[in-house]
Amino acid sequence: MDGAGVRRLRVGLVSWAHVHAPGLARTLAALPQVDFIGSFDETGTAHEGLTHASVEALLKESEAIVIASTNAAHRRYALAAAAAGVHVLCEKPLATTVADARAMLDACREAGVQLGVALPVRSSPAMVALKDAIESGRLGAVRAVRATNPGQYPGRWFGDRHEAGGGAVMDHTVHVADALRWLLADEVVRVHAELGSFLYGLPVEDCGLLTLDLNGGAFASIDCSWSRPQTYPTWGGVTMHVVGERGTVDVDVFRQSLTHYDDAAGVTKLVGWGDDLNALMVGGFVDAIIAGRPVPISGEDGLRSLEVVVAAYRSAELRRPVAIAEVA
Amino acid sequence: MRSVTIRIGVIGTGFAGSTHARASIGLSGARLTAIAAATIAEAEPLATELGVRVAPDAAALSASEDVDLVVVASPTYLHAEHVIAAAKAGKHVFCEKPIARTLEDARAMVRACDDAGVRLAIGHVVRFFPEYRRAKELLDAGALGRAAVATLTRGTLPVGAARAWYLDPAKSGGVVLDLMLHDLDVLRWWFGEPARVYGKRLAGGGAVDYALATLRYLDRPIVQLEASWAEHAGFRTTFEIRGDRGMLAHDSRAVAPFVVQSPAGDANAGVIPAPTLRETPYRRQLRDLTERLARGEPPLVDGREGSRSLGLGLAVIESAERGEVVPWMVPA
Repeated sequence: MDGAGVRRLRVGLVSWAHVHAPGLARTLAALPQVDFIGSFDETGTAHEGLTHASVEALLKESEAIVIASTNAAHRRYALAAAAAGVHVLCEKPLATTVADARAMLDACREAGVQLGVALPVRSSPAMVALKDAIESGRLGAVRAVRATNPGQYPGRWFGDRHEAGGGAVMDHTVHVADALRWLLADEVVRVHAELGSFLYGLPVEDCGLLTLDLNGGAFASIDCSWSRPQTYPTWGGVTMHVVGERGTVDVDVFRQSLTHYDDAAGVTKLVGWGDDLNALMVGGFVDAIIAGRPVPISGEDGLRSLEVVVAAYRSAELRRPVAIAEVA
Repeated sequence: MRSVTIRIGVIGTGFAGSTHARASIGLSGARLTAIAAATIAEAEPLATELGVRVAPDAAALSASEDVDLVVVASPTYLHAEHVIAAAKAGKHVFCEKPIARTLEDARAMVRACDDAGVRLAIGHVVRFFPEYRRAKELLDAGALGRAAVATLTRGTLPVGAARAWYLDPAKSGGVVLDLMLHDLDVLRWWFGEPARVYGKRLAGGGAVDYALATLRYLDRPIVQLEASWAEHAGFRTTFEIRGDRGMLAHDSRAVAPFVVQSPAGDANAGVIPAPTLRETPYRRQLRDLTERLARGEPPLVDGREGSRSLGLGLAVIESAERGEVVPWMVPA
């Protein structure tokens, strides 16, 4: 097979600001259904694959773009893409404010382009297995979930309130919030949060514990803290402890790894060997665009998980649980 | 120094009562003399196993001449009756946790022991588990810097028919007063008193019970707690403490030094398996108490301390029922 006749989507990468950008670039270069046409970086820093001097030039050649900018810049690039008739896969969180997210949704809808959000957790085979177990009914109704998505502090602009829109809560909450909505086919209605800036002297929170109520009566907690020490053997992780009426499930998305005791580097690290979630996530987006189907994780989904984040900040400020309706 | 033998009577032959009774055998300076349960028939097998007499009932055991320390391991809602009777009979009392189902009962128990001039100890045994003690030593030595965020979990099998009274929240307090209470007590021991509590719990109680709580200290740390009667693979505890200089992590499933597998199944997958230690935490607890009594010292966890941990558990339940954040005020 030479792949003749296989439709490939022309995709560009906008910005290298996000820590995920190098991985996304590698994924775009490797996916057979993608024609990776290059990238643009507003900082002008040289990167491999940095081939376009302006967003406009990149958009002119692209059918879709992946936005890996600072969180605050998502709106600007998504609106530019919509104006150019280009589909968008946006790094998470979709935006830093509900107003920005709504503007992005509106612009893409009016332009007739699709808006997707880069949330790889749904692509995890362990999460798919959990989804299957829930849908098969063998767990009974899911009543409660304790989820964690802790990580190391990413540095860069991630502790900058303006560029990032917040700290650990803005960075990590949406992965689990989105996965919970998808797993339980339900919506978050209420959020409680306790936050703190305890570890890095940042103007934003580096520790956060959230508790969510879902519409169907289940409740869930999320630890979104930047709590993994520098000596931790990996960047962090995503786990769920799921309590159903007839069964309990433990999911550890990144558990599949080798332990590498590296004398040369003086460190012990985990070397993951599980499926490449970025490839599955970006591939799912691209396949949907090519086939003319709705993308797997939509801008609407991105807005829903952002509302959880905004409600968490409000809760921490007011020291009480906050209804999603208060922030939507 | 003249050696004193503390003579022990045990009320209750469930998990706690039989554990404490067995832990007392061979303890230097202490001797098990009598066992009582709700019925003579329920007390007989354990008494026969351990070679001690059966007292006809709790009141008779507390009145016995040959008992100096009464171990109250009856169901939670009977603790007040049994502790107060023992105090009135002039006996020291070791009471299984939670001290009681209500703060009113707890206060009456503390008062009765004060009035009688006897000691009241509460069985917050996790303070005798070496992993939790070692963590406290490291915390106190500043090895982690200032604690920022911590998570403690504790789970076991759903409650079976043998422990049916647990299913009535009015009698037991459910999974919060059974399991989460241990970790609430550990938190108070490690970090002192929190400022506020937010709790979530499955509605209705029942054999599968599950609760989450978030605790906030005035400045730090923030803490996530989980208690589960839905751990179908058997007992498990975990904790993780992140400070600004490092992190400590524990998982009981990852530290078993002795694991048997056989066609008959895994013997370690019980409700609460015995830790693989030369001296179990239950025995350390009883030894510590009898040594303190012999020296005329107060117990490590007394009735007031047990009441405060109970109060914190009740605050979690109150928060879960009201759906609101509950400020924590230490009971007087």
